Amino acid sequence: MMSVSCKTGYMNGYRFLIRFGLILTVLTLAANARAAKISDLESIEFGEQLVRFFSMEDELLRTVLLGSLCLGLCCGLLGSFIVVRKLSLVGDALSHAVLPGVAIGFIVAGHKDPLAIFIGAIVAGLAGTVLVNLIKSTTHIKEDSSLGMVLAGFYGLGIVLITMVQKASIGNKAGLDKFLFGQVAALSSKEVTIMAVITVLSLVVIGLFYKQFLVGSFDAAYSKALGIPAQFFHYLLMLLLAFAVVISLQAVGAVLVSAMLIIPASSAYLLTDRMHRMLILSCLFGMGSGAMGAFFSFLGPNLPTGPLMVIAASTVFAASFFLSPKHGLVSRWLRFRDRTRRIRNENTVKAIYHVREKNYFEGEGVDIDALAARLKETRKATLLRVKFLTDANLGDVKEVDGNKNIFLNPEGWLMACTVVRNHRLWELYLTNEAEFEADHVHEDAEKIEHMLGEETVRQLERLLDFPRKDPHGKLIPSLADLQRTLTHSPRKNEPSGYRMPHS
Amino acid sequence: METIPLETHDLTVAYGKKPVLYGVDVQVPKGKLIGIIGPNGAGKSTLIKAIMGVIPLTSGWVKIFDKPFKANAKRVGYVPQRETVDWDFPVSVMDVVLMGRYGRLGWFSRPGKKDREIARQSLDKVGMLPFADRQISNLSGGQQQRVFLARALAQQSDLYLMDEPFVGVDAATEAAIIAIMKELKEQGKTILVVHHDLPTAKKYFDMLLLLNMRVVAFGPTSEVFTNELLQKTYGGRLTILSEVADAIRTQ
Amino acid sequence: MNIFQNIPPFDFHEVFVMPWTEFGDVFIWIFVMGFLVTAACGMLGSFIVWRQMALVGDAISHSVLPGIVVAFLLTQSRGTLPMFFGALVAGILTTTLIEFIHTKSRVKTDAALGIVFTTLFAIGVVLISMYGENVDLDTDCVLYGEIEYVSQDLTVSLFGLFDVPVQVARMGAVAFCVMLLIVFFYKQLLVSSFDPGLARSIGINPAIVHHGLMLLLSITVVSAFEAVGAILVIAMLIFPATTASMLSDRMPIILGLTVVISAISSLLGVHLALWLDVSTAGAMSVVVSTLFGLAWMFSPNRGLLVLAMRR
Repeated sequence: MMSVSCKTGYMNGYRFLIRFGLILTVLTLAANARAAKISDLESIEFGEQLVRFFSMEDELLRTVLLGSLCLGLCCGLLGSFIVVRKLSLVGDALSHAVLPGVAIGFIVAGHKDPLAIFIGAIVAGLAGTVLVNLIKSTTHIKEDSSLGMVLAGFYGLGIVLITMVQKASIGNKAGLDKFLFGQVAALSSKEVTIMAVITVLSLVVIGLFYKQFLVGSFDAAYSKALGIPAQFFHYLLMLLLAFAVVISLQAVGAVLVSAMLIIPASSAYLLTDRMHRMLILSCLFGMGSGAMGAFFSFLGPNLPTGPLMVIAASTVFAASFFLSPKHGLVSRWLRFRDRTRRIRNENTVKAIYHVREKNYFEGEGVDIDALAARLKETRKATLLRVKFLTDANLGDVKEVDGNKNIFLNPEGWLMACTVVRNHRLWELYLTNEAEFEADHVHEDAEKIEHMLGEETVRQLERLLDFPRKDPHGKLIPSLADLQRTLTHSPRKNEPSGYRMPHS
Repeated sequence: METIPLETHDLTVAYGKKPVLYGVDVQVPKGKLIGIIGPNGAGKSTLIKAIMGVIPLTSGWVKIFDKPFKANAKRVGYVPQRETVDWDFPVSVMDVVLMGRYGRLGWFSRPGKKDREIARQSLDKVGMLPFADRQISNLSGGQQQRVFLARALAQQSDLYLMDEPFVGVDAATEAAIIAIMKELKEQGKTILVVHHDLPTAKKYFDMLLLLNMRVVAFGPTSEVFTNELLQKTYGGRLTILSEVADAIRTQ
Repeated sequence: MNIFQNIPPFDFHEVFVMPWTEFGDVFIWIFVMGFLVTAACGMLGSFIVWRQMALVGDAISHSVLPGIVVAFLLTQSRGTLPMFFGALVAGILTTTLIEFIHTKSRVKTDAALGIVFTTLFAIGVVLISMYGENVDLDTDCVLYGEIEYVSQDLTVSLFGLFDVPVQVARMGAVAFCVMLLIVFFYKQLLVSSFDPGLARSIGINPAIVHHGLMLLLSITVVSAFEAVGAILVIAMLIFPATTASMLSDRMPIILGLTVVISAISSLLGVHLALWLDVSTAGAMSVVVSTLFGLAWMFSPNRGLLVLAMRR
């Protein structure tokens, strides 16, 4: 059963990636057939733009949207790997390092030729990664500084080159500043084609070599020990990463590409514990953010796409940071609150048990004042405690002779017996087995009593040979007592569930 | 003639300029449980990694069943130290154990039904089958070590290299691991274990490799586990060697 | 097209002599400003690099942008003080958020850093483009800085002796403060960077030193931002420190070297910018990275050349 679910999950991820690649290819071809220049995005009318966006009749719009989707998918896919490998900032360094390559590609081609710029950027990006490794391996300088140096050094060079290009004769037409902040509307169909090709390529490569990338990311040394060429796959991933960065430059801009790599993947990382699910989620988040960014930048005349995509992605991240069912801050806080409440209730029922024990289990209710005295707190605080108890359906408060008394119902009494049993067994274990002094064990047992599982408790009991008394000479409620509490059916109109241990 | 599971000749490793292992010559016989013993920084883990080509050799060679490691990688199972991986990594216990099968799969193929079955058996053997679907960060130290052991078992190798498998594990896990090692040995497999605890070393292993940057002694436990040899391994005499190594590095 | 045709012929007199004789003050102030920025960043950078927080500097330099924009939108003035505080708050917010995300979830520090600064930067850019008409800030300034305009600002009189542009005076004060603080707290910085455990045992709180350093970093980055732009601040933070550490092993000497490196890179940077007619901050960072390249190759005790010869 389990293996089946494992396998389908695995295969689904794989098929999903391949299928998606196919769909993308078809879409690109379709978009290409009717490509045109996107230059009339000037109309300001908000509603008009909204209609235009959702009607999808505009080929230009389709081109742009396709570009954003490709970008999100590609970045989400590769970003997952760099996030789990703790290489997040390599993406950042890479995205800055490609800048001089962009300028050089422009200079060599003589105009804004996407292919020349693409090649230049890839070369520069790879030179940057090689340089980081070289600095790391030949000097004492640490990784973060090497990354920072490559990032800043290449970026400075890039800016110098770009200012030179822009001052050259046809510089005004260069539009190289688009590479800094990105403008998805300026994407040409040729660029979108490159984006789609790269995206499909990444999907195929990751799909084919998923197992090599997985084991290499989890444990590179082990992957080598298996005879897998780990180094090769590392550089393959870096190459794909460079591709992803370069195709994203036009739309997001150099400064923010790394965001599209890191943020969707980190959001996915918080939501799932399995790599293939993380990949799928991250791709979806990436595409969602890409589409949202394109959409919002479409609404205003002046809005840059890249930053909007990043903000969309960050919103998703914030949501999963707080609301993720397992790792989210809110859910963890809720679990913490539940645990605190349970511990408080357990302490209350334990105190009730103690009071009753002191009275040799005579009478069924416990007077609030006696309970307050036992807990060494004010009557008001005890009343509040008791209210939590009644709210949790563990007991009722009734007036007896003008005094408020708390009566535990069977569940409450079971809880009380369990906690007391845990506490006393643990104390006994510490004194008998761990040779603690009898007066040193109470504090520890106070904490442990709330955490011991039924299995452990039974083990303890066997280990201690089913003891009847704790180190202080008090009776330990036995398993039989607990079971009797459970099977006992209450008589009508009578508080019940009260058992005296070993009575 | 039976081929020798592991043979190294003049195996030397240097990190940068600093030598870590000098001319290690060993011929490991088949079907033995062998402990690699030595002080901190003696190069125990380095030796294992060097055998598998995880770190490059400065000189010398390694043969696994008479062939270079690359040609016989399938016949070597590896249990790395627990700290070497990020336990927050989004994989389940099953995923990790399946990785043990990756070396036997072709470039493009994926783990199939048979691989899953083997992985499940390996998990069962270490008592971790109920945890197959757990994410790995939710495991205790001992459980993590069992998962790594299961992964190595799933490799179905003839030679096992284990790096400190007893560090930070509970007594029950330690006993379970030893039992599995003995069972593997019965099946004629060879197991090399990096170990740091002397008292248990004597109890657990058939043979000991005393290592301190070079091989101090290698032989049956009863012959090698002597005060004199241990003194030589752990004693201060070798500080000169490491001083020289430092001097070489700084020069 | 060949932009190399557009490179003006190199004329020593025109590039190296004329600026000093003909341009006078303008040129000198650009040089002084460049020197102060690089020196302040460089000295601080020595500790930042050592503590492996180089990329925190990068993060802060990016998130300064939304701080400035929000400060402007709130106060509707381009005064120095609101801008400065806006940026400072953004800088502190960055480090706090990184810490928060990292400690409260399983997201690792590097990813947390990447998430925080890109998000803040994106918010800054969007705000600029939404209120672009009102904000007298452009993205060019963010990227390249506007060190060229340094002397066009108001001037203040220093000791009644000579007139100094306000920006230069401010940067000078920051650089001076950085130097003083490093001198005064040298021991604390050294011990807590090297061995936090030891620091705690002798009564130095490493956490306070850490936060103090972060604050100082924010202040320096914010002040330098105007001159060299967001991304190039990181060059000024890291390069002098790493270059100096290629040349020496001793912290006091490293600190001294960073100042020398700052002077050289600022001087050559302004001349290079003048010759090629490009962004001064860009040229300075090209020079400073070239200096690192030279140190990497030719450092007498750990350069590549020496390593190769030993082999």
